[in-house]
Amino acid sequence: MTVQERHPSNKKIPLAFLCVAVVLALAPLGLPLFAMTLLTEALILGLLAMSLDLMVGYTRLISFGHAAAYGLGAYASGYLLLHTPLALPFAVLAASVLAGVVAIGVAWVCTLTKGVSFSMLTLAFAQLLYAVAFKWTSVTGASDGLAGIPRTSGPFGVTVFQTKNGYYYLVLVCLLGAYLFCRSLVGSPFGAVLRGIRENEAKTLSLGYNTRLYKIAVVAVSFALGGLAGALYSPFAGFANTELVFWLFSGQVLIMVIVGGQGTLIGPILGAAFFMLLEHVLSQYTESWALFFGLIFIGFVMFAPQGIWGLLTRRARV
Amino acid sequence: MALLELDGLTKRYGGVTAVNDVSMRVETGEVRAVIGPNGAGKTSLFHLITGIVPATSGEVRFDGRVLSGLSSYQRCQAGLSRTFQLTSLFPEMTARENCRVAAQARLPRRWQPWGGAAVFAEASGRGDEALERLGLTSMAARPAGLLSHGDQRLLEVAMALAQRPRVLLLDEPTQGLSVEETLTAVETLAGLFADGGLTVLLVEHDMEVVFRLASKITVMHRGSVIADDVPSVVKDDAAVQAAYLGGYA
Repeated sequence: MTVQERHPSNKKIPLAFLCVAVVLALAPLGLPLFAMTLLTEALILGLLAMSLDLMVGYTRLISFGHAAAYGLGAYASGYLLLHTPLALPFAVLAASVLAGVVAIGVAWVCTLTKGVSFSMLTLAFAQLLYAVAFKWTSVTGASDGLAGIPRTSGPFGVTVFQTKNGYYYLVLVCLLGAYLFCRSLVGSPFGAVLRGIRENEAKTLSLGYNTRLYKIAVVAVSFALGGLAGALYSPFAGFANTELVFWLFSGQVLIMVIVGGQGTLIGPILGAAFFMLLEHVLSQYTESWALFFGLIFIGFVMFAPQGIWGLLTRRARV
Repeated sequence: MALLELDGLTKRYGGVTAVNDVSMRVETGEVRAVIGPNGAGKTSLFHLITGIVPATSGEVRFDGRVLSGLSSYQRCQAGLSRTFQLTSLFPEMTARENCRVAAQARLPRRWQPWGGAAVFAEASGRGDEALERLGLTSMAARPAGLLSHGDQRLLEVAMALAQRPRVLLLDEPTQGLSVEETLTAVETLAGLFADGGLTVLLVEHDMEVVFRLASKITVMHRGSVIADDVPSVVKDDAAVQAAYLGGYA
């Protein structure tokens, strides 16, 4: 618990943010292509984890179904790229908006309940979507998924997104933009109400805030950004399959948020990168890498509940 | 016309009647206390007024407007701000932030999802003013969860006050306080009410607190009103004494 006053509307973009942005922007110059592939995926997952942090870290809405946002985005952008002439950035944007709109309906139902029931309903919705993805063959390709999703050219004949590095920049711009957007959101009056809901929802309601509306809004934003991540993933990987909507993946995203440090935005991005890196390294040695990651997760929950970002900033403060 | 009017308000839970046909008129500028032994239905009455639970029958009128069907946040927006019997704060926020969030709820741009420097400045101004009126300015930068219990009780009043309510509803403001803390709290509240301009409805079972603070007293017993008058009359009422002394006198 920090005693110092937190200023809600801190508009300054810290120097550290610019440094990180520049380093990431220069990464393609120094890294080999396979590393760029990993980095691109890490940034996409980072965006997904950060979007979940709005719900989990800032509003204490624990979602066990965030893969639904990712899967929705992934399938939607894949479908649009395969079956419509829409240019890639627009297809990605449309998929993100779709995820946000669907989330309004989902959240409207889920926010009828609180706590564990809320979490269970998010899980149920995600599994419902999983079932749809499995059965709706004409649109989702069922168990085969959507394959051969192209990175189309355009708009206006722009072909830069077709290259691996060009696509990396698209992802980077989306992540940095989403980060600035989220930062502004959590520092705004709206964000102050989210904090109120996180700490004491009954009190927030009795102060005259329609808390349910705020919760629906934050779920919609969270899903739109999570959908954006998914929409960026399917053209990157070239496919979308049911694994992207599966509950196991929802759990993994939640772990990324908690290991990275919830309620910090940056932490979950680091958590996603950490998760990917560890999966990559551990799976070279053992097939049961998830077991070891589970141990690491338990360690974090017990000894460093503030997560990676908490550890880093504590070190910096001393 | 009274500012707050209760008319035949009744709440039944199955066979139990928690609040039975309660009518009451609270005038502007009045400090009204609702007293009664434990289980008399005081807090239930508060829940009915603030819309936390729906009434079985009867209605609440606020400034002539019927509040039936309005949820608790809508009633708060209409101008009823309340505190809770069990302290309810944002423990990790500072005292100042607690009041700021409370005051923000009354500003038209409370939901603004970007920037908000102007909203925060206005809300902080109102919040700081409320903190000062309750003598909590020196505690402003402390997390609410680390304040003493007495200060937490007062902070909750400050949060309600920061909303500039038309009726301030206090549910047992001295609940759980030590004797000294109660004295301090009562003097602080007495000073606050003496400034005038506030319409207050408070629930309390500590008679000394009530006689120090209230200008009108409503006595409840087993869900019903058994007396409703100025303190000096209520004090000598036979039915009230019987209720407080245990029943069948």
